[in-house]
Amino acid sequence: MKYLHYIYRNARRNPVRSVLTIASTAVTLFLMMILVSFFNINSEVAEGFEKYNRLIIMNSEGFAGMVPISRVREIAAKPGIVAVTPFSWYGGKYGEEEMPFAQFGVDPTTIFSIYDELTVPPDQLKAFINDKAGCVIGRKLAEDRGWKIGDPLPLKGQIYSFDLNLTIRAIYDGPPDRDLRMCMFNWEYLDEGLKKGVSSAESGNAGIIVLKAADGDRLVSLSREIDDEYRNTDKPTRTQTEEAFTKMFGEMMRDLQWLITAIGMAVVFSLVVVAGNAMAMALRERTTEVAILKAIGFNRSLILNLVLAEAVLVAGLGGLIGSFGCKFLCDVVDISKYSAGTLPFFYVSWRTATLGLLVSLLIGLLSGSIPAMAAARRSVIQGLRKVV
Amino acid sequence: MDEAGFSIQLKNVNKEYRRDEFRVPVLSNLDLQVAEGEFLALMGPSGSGKTTLLNLIAGLDRATEGEVIVHDEELGSLSESRITRWRADNVGFIFQLYNLIPVLTAFENVELPLLLTKLSKRRRRENVKTALRVVGLEGREDHYPRQLSGGQEQRVAIARAIVTDPYLLVADEPTGDLDRASAEEILDLLQQLNREFQKTIVMVTHDPLAAQRASRVLHLDKGKLVSDLTQSAQIGATS
Amino acid sequence: MIPIKYNTRNLRVRWVTTTLTVVGTAMIVWSSCLIFSLVEGLQHSMSVSGDPLDLIVLRKGSTNEVNGGFAKDTADAILTLGGIARGEQGMPLAAEELVYIAVVERNDGTHTNAIIRGVSPASPALRPKFEIPEGQGRYFTPGRGECIVSHNVSKRFKGAKIGGVIRVGEKQAYRVVGLFTSNGSAAESEIWVDINDLTRDIGRVGNISCVQLRANSAEDRAQLQKTIENDVRFKLSALEEQDFFAKQTATSDFLKVAGTLIAVLLTIGAMFAAANTMYAAVGARTREIGTLRALGFSRFDILISFLGESILLCLIGGAIGLLATIPLNSLSFGMSNFNNFSESTVTLRAGPLVMAVAMSMTLAMGLFGGLFPALRAVRMDVIKALREL
Repeated sequence: MKYLHYIYRNARRNPVRSVLTIASTAVTLFLMMILVSFFNINSEVAEGFEKYNRLIIMNSEGFAGMVPISRVREIAAKPGIVAVTPFSWYGGKYGEEEMPFAQFGVDPTTIFSIYDELTVPPDQLKAFINDKAGCVIGRKLAEDRGWKIGDPLPLKGQIYSFDLNLTIRAIYDGPPDRDLRMCMFNWEYLDEGLKKGVSSAESGNAGIIVLKAADGDRLVSLSREIDDEYRNTDKPTRTQTEEAFTKMFGEMMRDLQWLITAIGMAVVFSLVVVAGNAMAMALRERTTEVAILKAIGFNRSLILNLVLAEAVLVAGLGGLIGSFGCKFLCDVVDISKYSAGTLPFFYVSWRTATLGLLVSLLIGLLSGSIPAMAAARRSVIQGLRKVV
Repeated sequence: MDEAGFSIQLKNVNKEYRRDEFRVPVLSNLDLQVAEGEFLALMGPSGSGKTTLLNLIAGLDRATEGEVIVHDEELGSLSESRITRWRADNVGFIFQLYNLIPVLTAFENVELPLLLTKLSKRRRRENVKTALRVVGLEGREDHYPRQLSGGQEQRVAIARAIVTDPYLLVADEPTGDLDRASAEEILDLLQQLNREFQKTIVMVTHDPLAAQRASRVLHLDKGKLVSDLTQSAQIGATS
Repeated sequence: MIPIKYNTRNLRVRWVTTTLTVVGTAMIVWSSCLIFSLVEGLQHSMSVSGDPLDLIVLRKGSTNEVNGGFAKDTADAILTLGGIARGEQGMPLAAEELVYIAVVERNDGTHTNAIIRGVSPASPALRPKFEIPEGQGRYFTPGRGECIVSHNVSKRFKGAKIGGVIRVGEKQAYRVVGLFTSNGSAAESEIWVDINDLTRDIGRVGNISCVQLRANSAEDRAQLQKTIENDVRFKLSALEEQDFFAKQTATSDFLKVAGTLIAVLLTIGAMFAAANTMYAAVGARTREIGTLRALGFSRFDILISFLGESILLCLIGGAIGLLATIPLNSLSFGMSNFNNFSESTVTLRAGPLVMAVAMSMTLAMGLFGGLFPALRAVRMDVIKALREL
């Protein structure tokens, strides 16, 4: 460690080169953080759901299939259940925007007992329950669009032929890894509207059903009970934990993930090559100096380690700036606002950022290895003979 | 043309460098007149300002005060781009370390100054061949500098210096990096260029034997001219 | 003007550095081209429509087939309208179709949502260059639990080979009797089943997703559009195929934004890399630069020369990166279709968009990466440069 001073000085010797190497590493790792987080967020959030003891029941054919609303009552009657709600995707158009944010038909009286990590002031909740055409929206959605309690929220039906004329009665809030951009309204309001309309066949669909169990142990047996009960009907169900359900969405992006992984590897390889090149260039200018060190008595492995340390230091600095810089940027600036609805929230976790730093250290190690070995092996005499 | 027939004139020239807040004078109150066709040697100890003087004459540097008039141009009044142009048209350079471009062949190195002119490819080729012939390097045109000896490299450099038929040749320690035999050859060549082709040559040198070839020797010390001898006088005062 | 061979030969002499920088930039360009190949493949599948006389009839206000259902009676009424072209044996080129999204297993065991389309006899004729090639089986026979799949799909889903059985959702299973191609159009993400089979199997009697038809002429098409859209009974819209696909841009928009973000950041990273190499080059050639300036080459000449060298360096890397994308050209990817939550099969395609991306990236890298080093070369004091060893 007493050599740290020397290593540091060497890196500072050609500041332009060091800065450029650090910069290219930082920028690239910044990008990788965004890409990796994009895929990791899904699984990280999924894992976070475990403690809430929630199950999701959907039609086993897929999202296109119906789940009859009657089952909500049937399931609620089972023992060990805290609360049940339908959760029906409405997918409406706001003005000219298609699917600008998620809209769900729910049971206002139970929804926040199920999603108890979301908070809403009691008076607002009461207003929401009492107004059949009312809705509750997430805090971030309200902030994005400057909406307040009492504002109207008209939605045009795309999937269903009934338009919703909602009024905002409540604003919910929650932790940063939750979707705070949803709009939830009273399921009954939609259903009554559908029944009066042209295609009453559309009514009665709960979409999916979400329940909260009192006890985590109950989850497995409960899922089996429910699926067994409806297996032989014309609308069989698939019940899974919220964690599994969320992970299912991640599966859809599988090929894209593979693509991003391939790109990530290519980019890391590119960085190794580029950083290695910079290191080699630096060393070529220092042959005399290295020869003198050897003449004094620095042995080969020491020289090797000094060069490696320098490479790792420079790359690591770049990785630090890129990884943690990205993390802190995303913590401070709400990136998801600019994602036009594709990302309800976005953040870089400590885990991901640390991984990025480790990758940069690895890059330093790999890129420095060949120049280091070359420097260690070059003969002293040759180095001293080089005419300045 | 000012005074009759002078190719180079310096009038009360001062040159100083600035290092932070220190001013380092390099040349002080210098006056000089050089006629066309002279072969001038500049000598003096390290730091005497001889190279600086050379740079002023060649248009590579500007005087702090005073006038530098070469080939009827007052160099201090020219803009950066005009003086660059002037150099290309008027000066041929010969450096101690030859300064050839390593990735170009001898031919291509000599051709370089011609690329700044409007000559056709064919004319350029003719001129390069002529220059190479004058310096005695026909047949080596396609060699790279690393394939040539020191003396041959310097001859390529001289060919490059004369290929545009410049008004003035400027040489900074042309024999400094050569062995005795090669140095003699180069000096022979320079004298030939001076006598046969009437080229005005200004040469900076440490080497007294090189200075002997010149027709006039100037000694500088601490930025001032301390002696100015024409050759015949110098032979009598051998160092 | 300093001759180009000065730059090319210098690149060659310092070949180790040159190669490493070229490899670095090539990988970066390759990565970006990969994403844009995906975008281009997606756009291609959308733009390869069939006949400009084709119309898609959906429920009014909806923008894709999954959400656009309407009653079968209404669909039957559409089929009787005048102006519809006729195909072989006088069969009207109009088809009722039912689109169903269901869970299907991939070859590697994971699950995804696939598009199952219940089709009518006229459906194949309404797709661009629809055919079942020699040796790839036959069209299905209705009522026997058979299906045909696109050749892309057969490579990716379990049981999707000829003679195999695809399980759809929890209960359905269909036997694959043929593989079809359709000129890279959207149909190539789908599994096709007879519409009556599907309706019966999933219990959606009386419901149709869309009607596809071909008009006899441009006037007939316009007339049909007017009739369908204005009839109050119907509450439908009739879109030309191009318009229909133009609205389904959610996925390709997302990919374009993601791809651009990636490409921009990668280019910036590569700029630093190119700058590093060029800085070293300028540093090593200080005396040469001084000589050139002494000889009379202007600052501008020097600037252009080094900038050009930087651009050349990056161009080589960019060309290699682009070429390396070509072998991947017919690779199929499953892309989430954000419009209907199903999985489309997209084939990579390196076309004009990809080339434009590669070109602009390399130019940016070379230009901005080389700018500061070139400026450094230019700003050198000639005398100091000549003295440098």
